[in-house]
Order: sequence, then C-alpha cells, then structure tokens
Amino acid sequence: MNKHIESVTEAVKAKFDVLNTEIVRDTQAAVDLKPGDVHAALAFLKAQGFRQLSMLTCVDWLEDKEFQLVYLLFDWDKGVRLQMRARLDRDNPKFTTVTNIYPGAQYYERDVHEFFGVEFEGNPMSYKQLFLENWDDIPPMRKDFNSRAYSDKKFPVREYKKDFTKAGDGK
Amino acid sequence: MKQVKLFLGPQHPGMHGNASIHMYVEGDIIKKSYLLPGMLHRGFEKTMENRTWMNNIGIIPRICVPEPDPNEMVFANNAETLANIEVPERAHWIRMLILELARLAAHLMAFGGCGGPTGLYTAMYWAQADRDGILTLFEEITGQRIYHMYIVIGGVRKDLPKGIEKKILDYVDDLERRLPDYEDLVLNNPTIIARTKDQIMLPAEVVWELGVTGIGMRSATGKAYDIRKVAPYARYDKVEFDVPTATYSDALTRIRFKWLEMHQIIRIIRQVLELMPGGKVREKALDGSALRWQVPKGQVYTAVEASRGEYGYYTVSDGGIMPYRVAVRGASFPQGLLGVEKYLPGHRIDDAALWFDTMGICSPEIDR
Amino acid sequence: MGEGIIEKDKKLKEGWEGISRFFRANSLWMLMYCTGCCAIELPQAMTSRYDMERLGMGPMATPRQADVLLVTGYLSVKTLRRVIYAYEQMSTPKYLVAFGPCPINGGIYYDAYAVINRLDQYLPVDVYIAGCMPKPEAVMNGFQDLIDGIKNKTADGWKRYRDNYEWYRKNQIESLGELRIKDEFHE
Repeated sequence: MNKHIESVTEAVKAKFDVLNTEIVRDTQAAVDLKPGDVHAALAFLKAQGFRQLSMLTCVDWLEDKEFQLVYLLFDWDKGVRLQMRARLDRDNPKFTTVTNIYPGAQYYERDVHEFFGVEFEGNPMSYKQLFLENWDDIPPMRKDFNSRAYSDKKFPVREYKKDFTKAGDGK
Repeated sequence: MKQVKLFLGPQHPGMHGNASIHMYVEGDIIKKSYLLPGMLHRGFEKTMENRTWMNNIGIIPRICVPEPDPNEMVFANNAETLANIEVPERAHWIRMLILELARLAAHLMAFGGCGGPTGLYTAMYWAQADRDGILTLFEEITGQRIYHMYIVIGGVRKDLPKGIEKKILDYVDDLERRLPDYEDLVLNNPTIIARTKDQIMLPAEVVWELGVTGIGMRSATGKAYDIRKVAPYARYDKVEFDVPTATYSDALTRIRFKWLEMHQIIRIIRQVLELMPGGKVREKALDGSALRWQVPKGQVYTAVEASRGEYGYYTVSDGGIMPYRVAVRGASFPQGLLGVEKYLPGHRIDDAALWFDTMGICSPEIDR
Repeated sequence: MGEGIIEKDKKLKEGWEGISRFFRANSLWMLMYCTGCCAIELPQAMTSRYDMERLGMGPMATPRQADVLLVTGYLSVKTLRRVIYAYEQMSTPKYLVAFGPCPINGGIYYDAYAVINRLDQYLPVDVYIAGCMPKPEAVMNGFQDLIDGIKNKTADGWKRYRDNYEWYRKNQIESLGELRIKDEFHE
C-alpha cells in the first residue's frame, strides 16, 4: 500500500475519533468519522494536500435508517485518494455546509439535497430544485422511492397487441 | 442601465447539448448568470440500481454522449476491484487503445466545435469528417459507431479483428498529416485569435476553488495534472507521452491544448499497437448465470482522465446482484454549474457560447 | 351554374395543394434542437460524408421558420415542456421526426422517473427512426420517408394535433402537471 495514504490515515486517526478505516485499493483508503468531526477533518486534510473535493455524494442505508455522506478527496501531487464518510440520522437528515472549506461543494450539496433530502445549513441555494422540475414525490434517489411505480403512474406505456416477451421464447 | 433577462438555450444553435444559461444582461455584458441543467436528467443513477451488474454494461455508455468509453472503463474497474478480478494483460492494452481513440474523437469534436460560436464552420466540417473515420474504426472493432459496450467486467468483449492495426495506423498517419492544416485553419486564424487570445481567462486560484480538472487545470496551474500520469490506470505507466502544461490559461491556450494533445494521443496509439502482447482478452468473472452474479460488499471510487477531465464513478455494493448505489462524477460538473454562476458574469453575450465550449462542458454528464 | 364554380374551385385548390406539397417536400428546414443523445449522429448526417442537403434539408435556428422538429432520443419531462413550447410555436405545416426507441416505448428508460414512455401521447409523430442510436444511413432513410410522406399526404401530424388538441392537451397536463414554468430563474 502507498506509504503516503498510510501516513495520512494514521494522522487522521491520531487527531480525530475514527470509527473505522478501510483500505480500498493501493492508492485509496476510506475513513469513517462522526458527523461532528467532518468539518475539522476536511480542513485538516485540505492542509495536508488534498486540495480537491472530487465529489460529494450520499448513500441511503435504508435498513440502518441512516444516510451516509461521502466526501471524495484527491491529492493531485501524490495521486492518492481518500473517502471520508459520515453517517446521519435518516429521519432528521441535517448537516452543515462545507462550502467554506471547499467552495466547489456548493452544487454537490444541492444535488444531494434534491435527490436525498439532506438539508445543508449555510448553503443559501440548497433548497431550490436544480435538475427536477415540479417534483411531487419523495426525493427520488431514496431507496424507498419506487421508480417503476412512479413511471407507470405518470407516463402511459405503449400496449402491444402481441406479447413479444413470451412469443419470442426461442420457439 | 436596465438589466434584461435573457435565455441562452436550450433551443439555441450556439449551445452544446440540451442545457440552458439564464442570465441578466446590461448592454451586452452579462451581469448574473445561472445554468439551468436537468433537461437531460434521466435518473440514471436510480436506473442503474434497478439493473444487474451485467445489464448495466449495456446502458452506462449513454451517460456521456461524445465520449462514452470512460463510463465503461470506470464501471468495469470498480466491479473488478470489488470482486477481485485480474484483467488479462492484452485487455489492458486494448482498453487503452479504445480510450485513446475515444479521446481523439472527443477532442476532434470539441476542437472543431469552437468553430460554431466563432463562425468558422470549416473547422467543424473538417473535424466531423475526421471524426467519422474513428467512428468507422469503432464500428469495425466493436460493432457500433457511438456506444460500444466493449469494455466489460473482466476485460474486453472480444479480441480485435484481424488487420485492424494497419487501418488504425493508416488513419492516424493521415490525421497527423492533416494536423498542421488544422493549426493554420484555427490556431493561426486572425479571427479566432481576436476572439480568444487573452479572453475568457481561467486563473489557477479559480481552478482550485471550483475543482476544475482536465485541460483547464493543466493550462492554468502549469503542472502535469493528468490522472494518466498522477495515478496511472490500465498500462499508461508503460507508454511514453507528454502532457502539455501552461500557466496562462486563456481560451486560445485551451483550444491549442486540444490540438497538442491530439499529437500525444497519436503517439500513444502507435506505442500501444507496437507493444500490445498476445493472449486472452477476457477473464471470466463468474461461473453460471451472469444475471445472478453477486459482487462482494464494498465502496470504491475510480476515476479516469476523460477528454474534459476527471471522470469517475463511486460504486457501492451490498453483496447483491444489483449495484446498491452508483454516483457519477461528471468531469464538467464544477465549471458547468458553479463556474457559470461565478465566473461567466463579466463576459459579453457572444462570448458565452465560447466560454461554454472552451471550458469543455458536456451537459449529459452534468444531468445524468 | 353555381355548382360548376364550386367544382372548379375545388379542383384549383387541390392543384395548388399538390404544388405546395411538392415544394414543401423538397425544401425542409429542421429545427436545431438537440433533445437527447441521438443528436450526436446528426452532425455526421449534416456534414460532408452523408450530406443532408442533397435531400433539400438544412438547419434553421428559430422554431417559427422551421418545418421539422427532430426529437432526438429520450425526452425528460423537463425537455418535453420545452419541446411542446417549440412545437406550438412552429407554423403549419410542421412535421415531427422521433429518433430511437425511447420516444416509442421508453427504451432503456422504461422505468425511469424522469423520462416519458411514449411521445405520441403528447405530440403527433410523423416518422419514427429505429436504432440506438440510428446510424446516419438510417437518419437519411427516415428523412426520405418523411419526404415521401409529405408527397403522398400521410405525414399529417399537424392536422391531427389541431383536430385532437383537447386530447393531446389532457395527456400533457396529466403527465407534466404544469406546462409553463413561470419562474425558470433560480430565484
């Protein structure tokens, strides 16, 4: 494993209350933190050379009743990548913006808000719709949203006189 | 002076793809602007959660239309990392060949595309004709012109057809002969120079602030920030190529970089064809039905260098037959949304389309 | 005597319509609106290798001067609002060509929450072009079909839209909710 990423994970471990670390591949590691530590850890890592926030995304763990925010950081000089993950309560998904550390996060936060319903305090535009228009259901990327049912309800399907799925059964 | 609301797109000949810029103008200076994305939003990430791993290979190229192959590469790479599959040596080299050809096609399209907003349609016609040559090669290799579904989990779908090496070499020789003509036509053209030199600047601080990658980043920071060099994937560490860099990023520099990179792509393609070993091209990922294939638990992110910058997928597997979550990082997401909001104001209306073009913005990958 | 004049009028009118159909079919202006991914093959069809202009087709920037609306691929609900807006702005006679499987039955997006499943519920389609994505040969073939359809009066989508306007409008409102978005700016 890459020496640099090892030393960085050790430094994060020493400084913050790390729940779990994971080696994903040679140049990539993952660190699980408590939500309260995320801002301090991001500022710390940015000073360590992780100058770019590649992406902020969210995973919906329906069974654990949690949202997992994933901050993907990249160090362009060393070529190493770090996943920083934190879990939020699914029933009350609120978090604070990180735009003061990584300004590029602004639209990623809007994206996560729109598709998962996680609110980011301090991000002025995050409550507005960006990709969707006149959305009338729960945020669509949540696991309990059924895309097929919504599509069938809203958009009529073409009905075929012949059932091609059965007729073309190799006979 | 009174501020006027103005729409650029989605139905506008200067716009690249189905996106819209909304702006307030004063005279012909843009005072405030926002991108209105989502016209191409298909809910792709949700759709991928409802397909099996193998089914997904068939649909993912559609996320980025001008350059679909990085999609296949990152998806396959993620699944291989999770499932611990070793890709055969020859497959790595074929993947590089495909990715470089795709990059060449995308660069040609973008390089000629700058003729649209500047009124130099000759460049567009030339570039489209040359791009068509690559599409014909793709058709022979993969069976499809645009969406190839060629890079699959475990390698590539099929070996290269016989005699394709000569055709590829003939094509790149021909293109290399024509590249000086492109320089004369576009880069030394007084009209283009007047429109682009010292215009539409991208300083290094802005690059770091927004998270711009690709040509924009390399032309502003002066360092070879290319994922192929920084964190090599496939076999990019075994071929020689240079990454053009600069510390002054105006629109002309960024257009020139596409031209310079085309030389490097041709260099890589020649080396790949020379160094490519024999052997099998696909490792069997599983025994039994591909539709029941389960990928071990894990969360992994892979990025490759697409023609516009860092293009990556974040894949989460919960051990099931379908991906639990796939998140797409479009290469032009930062400059397309935050860049338009913060740094397009101050330019003139007629530069907006050129701004969009030289920043390398591709709307389907923003919308997903 | 009166009947003779009406008869003559009718003949004259038919004759004129035949002539105008001939001219319409040979000079088609398509609206440059790339709605989906099938648009990537249009530049190839337009430029040197396939050269659409030999069919008498050319690109046109504004809907009011265009004859053909190309729905190139899938339509998200957000695009459909704009497409309806553009289609209604076009002056008759107008034609609509749909590319790929997505406007026919949803294609690979049959279960996507943001993409409609069939276009002919909302707008009348004159020609469908198959393939994902249609090759330039198929595109040219589809355009030839459209030209033939105009000549033999089968491409009459604009008449159907006029006659069944309430039905189309009902479907549009059912799927889209609101047709016009008042505040498109992010403010």
